[in-house]
Amino acid sequence: MNANMLAMNKMRFLSAVGAAVAIAAVVACGDNTTRSTGWEFSRNMYDPLGYNPDQPNPNFKDGKTAQIPPPGTTPVGFERFPYSASTEDYERAGAELVNPLQRTQETLAQGEALYQVYCAVCHGPEGRGDGPITKDRRLESKSESRQLENYPPPPSYAKSDGINSSRGGLMAELTDGKIYHTITYGLNMMGSHASQLSPEERWKVVMYVRELQKK
Amino acid sequence: MRNISLVFERIAKPISVALVLLFSVSSLQAQDAKEGETIFKANCSSCHKVFGKFLGPELAGVNERRDEAWLLKWIHNAPSMIAAGDPIALELDAQYPSAAMTAFPQLSEDQIKSILVYITSEEEKKAASDAAGGGASGGGAGGAAASGDASSFMIIGLVAVVILAFVVILVLNKVIRTLERVIASNKDLIPEPALVEGPKTDYVGKLKKLAKNKKLVFFAVLMLIVFLGSAGWKTLWNVGVHEGYQPVQPIKFSHQLHAGVNQIECQYCHGGAYKSKNASIPSANVCMNCHKAITASDKYDGELSPEIAKIYRALDYNPETMEYGPNQRPIEWVRIHNLPDFAYFNHSQHVVVAGVECQTCHGPIETMEEVYQYSPLTMKWCVNCHQETEVNHEGNAYYDQLIAAHEKLKKGEKVTAAMLGGLECGKCHY
Repeated sequence: MNANMLAMNKMRFLSAVGAAVAIAAVVACGDNTTRSTGWEFSRNMYDPLGYNPDQPNPNFKDGKTAQIPPPGTTPVGFERFPYSASTEDYERAGAELVNPLQRTQETLAQGEALYQVYCAVCHGPEGRGDGPITKDRRLESKSESRQLENYPPPPSYAKSDGINSSRGGLMAELTDGKIYHTITYGLNMMGSHASQLSPEERWKVVMYVRELQKK
Repeated sequence: MRNISLVFERIAKPISVALVLLFSVSSLQAQDAKEGETIFKANCSSCHKVFGKFLGPELAGVNERRDEAWLLKWIHNAPSMIAAGDPIALELDAQYPSAAMTAFPQLSEDQIKSILVYITSEEEKKAASDAAGGGASGGGAGGAAASGDASSFMIIGLVAVVILAFVVILVLNKVIRTLERVIASNKDLIPEPALVEGPKTDYVGKLKKLAKNKKLVFFAVLMLIVFLGSAGWKTLWNVGVHEGYQPVQPIKFSHQLHAGVNQIECQYCHGGAYKSKNASIPSANVCMNCHKAITASDKYDGELSPEIAKIYRALDYNPETMEYGPNQRPIEWVRIHNLPDFAYFNHSQHVVVAGVECQTCHGPIETMEEVYQYSPLTMKWCVNCHQETEVNHEGNAYYDQLIAAHEKLKKGEKVTAAMLGGLECGKCHY
């Protein structure tokens, strides 16, 4: 009888320890996040038969679905830009190219919208090199609170500021071709925006930047 | 006595003059450094850093490397010096072929001098902090590491709890066994504790009595069915609904920081939402538009942030030479929003044509440190919105065509399938 009682105590004790461990685990891991998708039924109806561009793919050597086209490929509707990234070609583009788009109120408005999305974050809403990421800002989040580093401000386009370009001449006197070349290849700290803006969109932005130069 | 005071007077005058002069010079220098900092940040910082190579050479020590007259001339108009064939200018031009030094004719001589004073003051500041902060920076690094990774701390803690629990179990097992042995050897000496047995049998008896009460049993079973039924119903409705899903991403990318604090437009990175079916995950070159310069090193004691280092690794980018290598591999982001393959959804239709804000479906994304799925993405959710949303047909060519077709019908004219797009290839060959 006594031995029996002790065995029962042991069981009770073990279950108490188990419960304590379970509670500790739940308390430690329960940070209010849902890391799993939960129950799913017939998952195969969710997943495509073909591969999504962002999925791994065992059929290719590098394991990627999104393959880079072979060198020299020209996709349908793609416009070649016959200038290299060099300073000589920058000057050449600046001398030869003119904006092919008609200057209308509508295109200019589209250019402004694109400028505000893709350029204003550094160049500022009016092109004076005072975009939000060049200014002092503070991050206050759940996990941290700190001053963020400022992005080095780009030079102003405005005529009234009279700033020089690093490739010579005033920023306010940059030509269509020079601006287009810079959007396409980037310059100094600025990266290429060719993957984000189509050639037509780039020309719309150029049109709007020419407006900002007059300020 | 008189002599002494006279001598003192004689000495005191030049000393006080010298002190005043020294003070004014040092305050002037402080002011210069401050002015220099403003000018430096506005004009130079996009290509130069005081410490370390950037697009242009490191500026620390430039006052020793070159004489002031040369520097003044160089900063005023570098291109003309290169053209004139100045030997140092030509050497620099050859060393940095991708970045040419901008001419700054708008800066006055005093302004350029104040930049040079600022550079010297930064050098002095660094030398002072290097001399003083050898031990302190070590302590800071340790503190950062300790507060760094909460999840690994939790895992270690959990493992410790489990190990401790096992040790306790083992020890108590041993104690129980020895006690059993003691009891076995001293069986006669211990009196039987009858008190414990008594109520035990009573409980069982009571339970048996209750089990015979049919109304109570019926009620208990009904409650159980209601509880299990409602829980089951709720669970089944949520099968395949990923609302709130927040997977761990390979890089701790914060939308709160990028879209919220930095005010980068959604479209800057997810431009696909305006042009195609997919909102598109930006390729790493878009990250590099900023992260070529931004390294978050303030947070990591002057070192590159480990999260930004992941972008560099993916691109095989060397921040020292600023060049990309050949061993590039994609960043494997975990997809959060995943519509079933049998449902067609097009982002551009919603964003461009209907003008729906990103936040309508994705929630307060600009406040999310870690993104989660805000909407259920169920068919009911889609249908509800489609029933409430009014169509804005102004200036929409598709509706113009439809309205024109209706006008024609009203006039009794003939409308053919071709006029409604019946000759489009995709209508048959999809």
